[in-house]
Order: sequence, then structure tokens, then C-alpha cells
Amino acid sequence: MKPFDIVIVGGGGAGLYAAMEAMKTNPALNIAVLTKVYPNRSHTSAAQGGANAALGNKAKDDTVEMHIFDTIKGSDYLADQDAVDVLCSEAPKIIRELENIGTPWSRMEDNTIAQRPFGGAGRPRCCYCADKTGHTILQTLYEQCLRKGVIFFNEYFALSLSVQGSRSRGLMAMNMKSGKVEAFPARTVIFATGGYAKMYWNRSSNAAGNTGDGQAIAYRAGIPMKDMEFVQFHPTGLRKSGLLVTEGARGEGGFLINKDGERFMARYAKEKMELGPRDLVSRSIETEILEGRGFDSPAGKYIHLDLTHLGADLIKSRLPQIREMSLNFEGVDPIEEPIPVRPTAHYSMGGIDTDNFGRTVMDGVYAAGECACVSVHGANRLGGNSLLDILVFGRIAGHTAAEEAGKFEPGKISEEEIKASVDELRSSMQPSGHYERYGALREELGQTLALNVGIFREASLLKQGIRDISELKERFKKVRVFDSSDVFNTNLMQVLELKNMLDLAETVAIGALAREESRGSHTRIDFPVRDDEKWHKHTLATLVNGKTTPGEKPVTMGRYELQERTY
Amino acid sequence: MNSRKELINHFALMTEIIDQHQEGKRDVTFRVFRFNPQVDSKPYFDDYTISAERGITVLRSLNYIKEHVDPSLSFRAFCQAGICGSCGMRVNGTSKLSCTSQVWDELDKCREPGIIKVEPLRSMPIIKDLIVDMDPLVDKMKRYSNWIDSTMPLAEMGKKEFLVSEEEFHRYDKATDCILCASCVSECSILRANKEYVSPAVLLKSYRMNVDSRDSIHDVRLAELVKDHGVWDCTHCYRCQESCVKSIPIMEAIHSIREDALECRGPKDTSGAKHAEAFMEDIEKKGKLVEATLPIRTNGVVWTLRNLLPMAMKMIVKRRTPPPPPLVKPAKGIKIFRAMFREMSEHVKQDHLKSHKK
Ligand SMILES: Cc1cc2nc3c(=O)[nH]c(=O)nc-3n(C[C@H](O)[C@H](O)[C@H](O)COP(=O)(O)OP(=O)(O)OC[C@H]3O[C@@H](n4cnc5c(N)ncnc54)[C@H](O)[C@@H]3O)c2cc1C
Ligand code: SF4
Ligand code: SF4
Ligand code: FES
Repeated sequence: MKPFDIVIVGGGGAGLYAAMEAMKTNPALNIAVLTKVYPNRSHTSAAQGGANAALGNKAKDDTVEMHIFDTIKGSDYLADQDAVDVLCSEAPKIIRELENIGTPWSRMEDNTIAQRPFGGAGRPRCCYCADKTGHTILQTLYEQCLRKGVIFFNEYFALSLSVQGSRSRGLMAMNMKSGKVEAFPARTVIFATGGYAKMYWNRSSNAAGNTGDGQAIAYRAGIPMKDMEFVQFHPTGLRKSGLLVTEGARGEGGFLINKDGERFMARYAKEKMELGPRDLVSRSIETEILEGRGFDSPAGKYIHLDLTHLGADLIKSRLPQIREMSLNFEGVDPIEEPIPVRPTAHYSMGGIDTDNFGRTVMDGVYAAGECACVSVHGANRLGGNSLLDILVFGRIAGHTAAEEAGKFEPGKISEEEIKASVDELRSSMQPSGHYERYGALREELGQTLALNVGIFREASLLKQGIRDISELKERFKKVRVFDSSDVFNTNLMQVLELKNMLDLAETVAIGALAREESRGSHTRIDFPVRDDEKWHKHTLATLVNGKTTPGEKPVTMGRYELQERTY
Repeated sequence: MNSRKELINHFALMTEIIDQHQEGKRDVTFRVFRFNPQVDSKPYFDDYTISAERGITVLRSLNYIKEHVDPSLSFRAFCQAGICGSCGMRVNGTSKLSCTSQVWDELDKCREPGIIKVEPLRSMPIIKDLIVDMDPLVDKMKRYSNWIDSTMPLAEMGKKEFLVSEEEFHRYDKATDCILCASCVSECSILRANKEYVSPAVLLKSYRMNVDSRDSIHDVRLAELVKDHGVWDCTHCYRCQESCVKSIPIMEAIHSIREDALECRGPKDTSGAKHAEAFMEDIEKKGKLVEATLPIRTNGVVWTLRNLLPMAMKMIVKRRTPPPPPLVKPAKGIKIFRAMFREMSEHVKQDHLKSHKK
């Protein structure tokens, strides 16, 4: 294949924005987007709630400064303050830009973009389109990319980076339609492959493919992962499937009720009540359940999310998707009955370590979106800040790569390397004798993570988790791919995804064991308080000679001093 | 507060309970379309019988089969929540999302009791088993400029918002629900005969762009829509709307494009106009469409014979064909209807004028 200037891996919000911006920055560049699902299927489409920006349409006194403070406080002071500055200052501009190119935002009475309150925010600044915000943003970006003639390689599964010395020469990917391994020589590669929270499998709100592929590829190429232990649990997953009921439901006035009929959030966040930040609300629900105040059902314990007092009209007009999902997956109509919910693994704060321009430590490799860790979310992401993150930093990464591509030589990938890649794939397909089922391993991984590396963590649990994961990695070597066909081998793809999850799960558990404090989403029963003296820093995990090697990085401070985080 | 033991008990209990939740199980057979172009000369069906519990979806059943019975069974799925549009397939003959289709609901719709038939979407090239090629649909989105070409100058981007009324938002709100699952595409009667046809999802998207005041290429898009294989080829069979997984009133969008075309381009401009006149005439005369003759009058006899006859034969067998012309009697109360129709046309015109002034 002819060498590219930029290859973007991922067609979600981050990848598409990067593509658009790179084209705008330098129209002469040869840019390709490579994605394992059609761009419009990406998980960005699942974001219901909205994206934060201090437009001041709803609350006239809202400011960028307040947004910055809310984000830093929400992060439990682990976010880098210069990065948060960029995120929040760019927010109004990027939301308006999206508006200008066709995103159908809901509207206020004065015809400006509508905003609503969202967890952890001091002002109602979450911009939304009914409860399909991510879907409409992704559609808009995809439409614009089609308009601009972006070259897409749809249904290509990225396998590995081609590394020579200190820099990448491009990427290897499997064409799902033909099963062929193809080389994508490139001056620069941008990873925008989304999150890794699906490693919790059935206890996750994520799409089946949110398996952290980009992170795992970068990790295996020696690029450090940052803050992997921080996984956000969303307070309200549907009881049976883990699927998400958006925070919008609480933003519109929904109540959380335990089996005694109490609005129990009064115990944990008197002022903000149901609109407290996610980590706090998740822990509150989990505590209610652990202390016996949850409801019981054959499908597990849960509490109620009650919308009935909001009325049929509001539910139908503002929360139609929630109603549909609740009907489809729980058989409950929220107009008439409360929805059964419990916390579900939802978002990965950790990811590929980047600077504020999307650069990684490897020359020519960039990352943006949920797969990257800049870090703007620190120990806990605020609702509505992630869509913003993928847009702002997707754009920045696209711009940076376009500016810097000229610095690097055109990529070259040798025939031998392609062959080695094919051989590796083949060898994973047919172990002889005793074999393992990938489906079973995948489920066991989710179970051990939920149990040992879940909302409440503790040294002995985490050690057990690490043992389980390495055992699973051992057993993985015996996994067999039964589908022998080249054409659209989803069997092989799922096995490769499992490998990625296993590699990353190890970094999550190791990071969680190392961090002997409680901060944001990371709660240690044995170290219940935040320990700024020892742990006000980022953790790194780098693969050195086949072993996860821990490291650390300071947090960039700025205007805001460390404070206790209360709501 | 939370000792480790309590924690473990909590989770252990949960898993145990899930295991016990086996009440309401039934043996269900999935008869699944199989085709691997590498080895099969033609498609065939495989039967998989599994014990399915109440509340399980068709997609979860297929996942189960893939994990436990036959890992080579191939289909697409991603969000598993009815939002990404990956998992469109035909279940018991109807195109829908497998991730939101309940097995127990499907059991009521089986031709053969207890056997749920699962096939790929129609009118798109088959890649393998239940996986079809989406590229033709994307190509059509490009051909019909399914994007906003903003009136905001590039230099001004991001500086200020367009002001958009809630009323305008509601005009395209529903249309932006479309997740491009292609269920409507698979059900469209014209597409089965003519693969070039614009297709309902693309018409819907075109409509959505055309009523957006931020867009600047309304006329370009419309000019493409009235060409051959465009908006006038639709037979108004309503199948797309009936099968839309997001209950989007697709037909309203199609009507609206046609009205818009007549309004903006006059009734005499292309092959479409012939169709339009035929369409109007029918409604006014009979209060009902004479669907059977509609394609003949628009596309000519030869085209109709070549493209639609095979399908018509099949439809007759299935008793879906609209009755041949002499059988279409003027609808009851045709006088009242005609008056209403005229008033309606007037109304539509006024509405349109209003909205275009904004
Ligand atoms: C249910 C849910 C609701 C949410 N709601 C909100 C909200 O209201 N507000 C908010 O701000 N955030 C929300 N989030 C978070 C937010 O949606 C995500 O963080 C964000 O969309 C991630 O975007 P992305 O572009 O980084 O990745 P994605 O949209 O996940 O895209 C990843 C892309 O990478 C591609 N890819 C992955 N692996 C490979 C590979 N091996 N080879 C090739 N391509 C690959 C995929 O095909 C895909 O195109 C929500 C998340 C979930 C799960
Ligand atoms: S109404 Fe038109 S677009 Fe819809 S299915 Fe029928 S022919 Fe196709
Ligand atoms: S219009 Fe409906 S059925 Fe057709 S692609 Fe869109 S969502 Fe699917
Ligand atoms: S898997 Fe996404 S719509 Fe069914």
C-alpha cells in the first residue's frame, strides 16, 4: 500500500474530528481512517446525556473558569490543570462549531443551544440533543467526513504497530472482509480506539468492542499507559444487562430510592443529592445494597431509579431512549414504575499517556479520546466531559499530526514483517490437544474484575485479581479459533480482543494494588482516605521485557490548590 | 463498614441467583441462514436448538450459539442496546434489530412452531452468513449529499450559534433518530427490483438536511433526488415505515420531498413529474393509490416488465399485491375526500411558504 501521512485508528468522535481537522490543517496530506466497525456504529453513539460547555445559555452567570474548577475538583485533583484549561476554554468554540456544521442540538426558548444540569457541575452547562447526543454528534461528524472525502478503511482490525528504533513506521491491520493482513506504512499514527471498560464484560455499559485495542497495541509497542486503575462505575446500569440509564434521567429530576422508600442520597450528598458526582453516587448505591437496603431479585440486588413523578410528557419528550431501553431490557415502563438499576463499569479514565498535544513518547504516534489519558479527568470524569474530551483533543491530535507529519520519513513496512504478523495470527488459531473456549475466559475475566477490582477494593482482593488474570493469560494460550475461514472471521476477532483485554486488565489491577489511597473512582477499603503526600501523582505502566513495569509522573498544578473534595 | 467477607458474599450470592434464574425456559430452534463464499456454492440453513429463558433477546441467543455451539456462525453486533444499528437482520421474515427482539415475542410469529428463522437483510450483497455489505448504502449517502453544507463562512465557524427555533428542531428531530440499520432498506419493495434506487433511509436523511435552515445546498440535493432512481420511484407501499426500528415516519419525509420538488421545480420537470401527476390524479380520483399501474406510467412498460414483474409474481403468491386497476373502487365518500384533499394541498403550500420565509 502507498504510504500515508496520517493513519487514524478509530472512527468514533475522536477519530473523526482528528480526520477533519488534519484535512483542514493541510489538505495536501494523504490521510486514512481505519476502523473495525463502520464509523457511525462507534460507541460515541451511545452517549445519551450531553457535552459540557460554559455557553451561558441556560445559566447566564456560568463561566469557563467555573467549568475548569468543577472539572479539577471532580477529578479529585489528579487532572493536569493546564490540560483542563485547554479542555474547558475550547469547549464553547467546539460546541458552536458542531452546531454550525449541523448537529441538531435541542433548543432553549430563545432558540439557542439547550443546556441542562449534570452531575458534579456547579451550573447547568451540559449541551444535549434529547437523549441521543452522542449519536447525533457522531452522525454529524461522519456526514462531514463523507462530504470532505475522507478515505475510510471500514471493518479493518488493527493488529500492531510497526516499530523501528524509537519511532513507528505504520500499522498492521486485518481486512475483515478478506481476512488478509495489510500493512499501512505511515509517517504518523493516531490512536482513537475508545475505552477498555468492557473488560468487566457483563457488568459494563460498554459496547462489545470497547476492548482497549489501541491501548493494548501501544502498550505492547512499549508506550506507557497512565492511571489505568481509574475505572468509572456509572451509578445506574440496568439490573440485568449493565446497559446504561443516562444521568440525564437524574438531571431531569429522577430520584434514587432504596427498599425502605428513602431518597438515600441525603445521607451521602446532602446538597447535590442525586446529582452528586458519579463515583460518590455509585459508592452510595453499592453501600445501600451491601448494608441490606437494596431490593432483591433473581437477577441480583438493585435499587430504584424513580421517574414516575416527572410525568408522561416529559419522559416522552426528553428521555425517550431511556423509556425504550427500560421497556426492551427490563420490561418496565418508567412512566408507570421505577427502573431497577445498579452500578456498572462505564468509563476508562486511564489510557495511553499523552501530552496536551496528543503526542505519546514514541515519535509519530499520537492518541486522543477515551483511549488516551492527557489527563483531563484525573481520578474521576464528570458526566458530559468525555464527549468534550474526544472532540477537543481529537481535534488537537489531528492538528498536531498534520503539522508534524512532514518531520518524519515516509513509513515503510517490509514483506518479512507482514509475513511475521500473518504467522502470528495463524499460530493462535489451532492449539492441539486440550483447548480453551474464549467465551468462558472472557466471562471469567469480567467476574474476577467485578469482584476483585471493582468499586470497593482491598489488597487481598486485588492480589487475587492479579493471580486470576495471569492464570487466564496462561489459559489463553490454549484458546482455539474454530472458524477457519478468511472471510469476516468474527471468531478470530473476538479472540484478539480478549487478548487485548487480558493485557490491559493486568495493568488495571497492578495499578490499583499499588495505589494505597482512595481517590475519585478508586476506593480502597484498607486505605480509605486520600493521601496527597504519597499519591498525588499519576501512575504509569510500561511493558519492559514482557513485564508490566510501574512508573510515575507528577500532576501539573495551576491556580487551584489541593482541597478536600466534598459535595 | 464493608468487610471483605460481606463483599464476597454479596457477589457470590448474585452469581448463584443468576444461575437459579432458570424458570421460564424453553427449547427454541434457530434456523439460521449460512453462506461462506470461500467454500459454499450456495446458501443453506443450519438449525440450532438451545434452551432459551424468558427475557432473552435474539442477539443473545446468537451469541450463545456462537460461544457454545458453532463459533463459525457470523453476524455483526456492537452496542447490544439498539443504538448502533449493527445487528439488523431478518427474524421470522421481518427486518429488525436482533438485539432488541425478544425471543418469546418471536415465538408467536413462527411459521413452523418453535422455529425462529434468521436471515440476512435483503437487497444488499451478502458477505458471509448474516453479514451484508453496507458500502452501497454509504455510496448513496454520498450521491445524495446527506450532509449539511453550512451557510456559516469557514472563518466564522465556532464563533456564534445559529438561532434555531424549537419548531424547526422538531421538523428534523425524529429523522435524526435514524441509526442506519438498513431494516427499511431490506424491506423496500422497489429496491428489490432496482438496486440503484435511492432507498428509504437515504430519502429520510435527505429530507432531514433539506429542512435544516443552516444548510446551503437544498437545491442541489433536490435536483439529484428528482432524477431517475430518486424520490419519484417510491411506490408508497409504506413497508419502510412499518419496519423502521425507530418508528420514524419515513413516509412523511418522502411526501415532504415530493411536495417540495413540485413546489420548487414545478410539476413538469422530469420523469418524476409524470409520476407526480399520476400520483395526484390517483389520489384525487380514487382516494387511494392505484399502485399497480404507477410504475408503468412513470417508468414505461418495458422497465416495469423487466424489473417489477418477477417481484409481482412473488407478491401475488404471497397475496401482497395491490389489486389490479379495475378492482380499485373509488373510496367511499370520495366527494368529501376530494374537498379535503384540495384543502390539504392548500395547507401544505401555505405551510411551506411560511417555513421557507424563515
Ligand atoms: C452508555 C454510555 C453513555 C455515555 N454517555 C456520555 C455522555 O452523556 N456524555 C459524555 O461526555 N460521555 C459519555 N460517555 C462516554 C463517551 O461516549 C465516550 O468516552 C466517547 O464516546 C469515546 O469516544 P472515542 O472517539 O474515544 O471512542 P469510540 O467512539 O468508542 O470509538 C472507537 C473507535 O475505534 C475503533 N476501533 C477500536 N478498536 C479498533 C481496532 N482494533 N482496529 C480498528 N479500529 C478500532 C472502533 O471501530 C471505533 O470506531 C458515555 C459512554 C457510554 C458507554
Ligand atoms: S414506501 Fe417507497 S421507500 Fe418505502 S418501502 Fe415502499 S417503495 Fe420503498
Ligand atoms: S430509517 Fe429506521 S429502519 Fe431505516 S435505517 Fe433508519 S432507523 Fe433503520
Ligand atoms: S447491536 Fe447495536 S443496534 Fe443491535
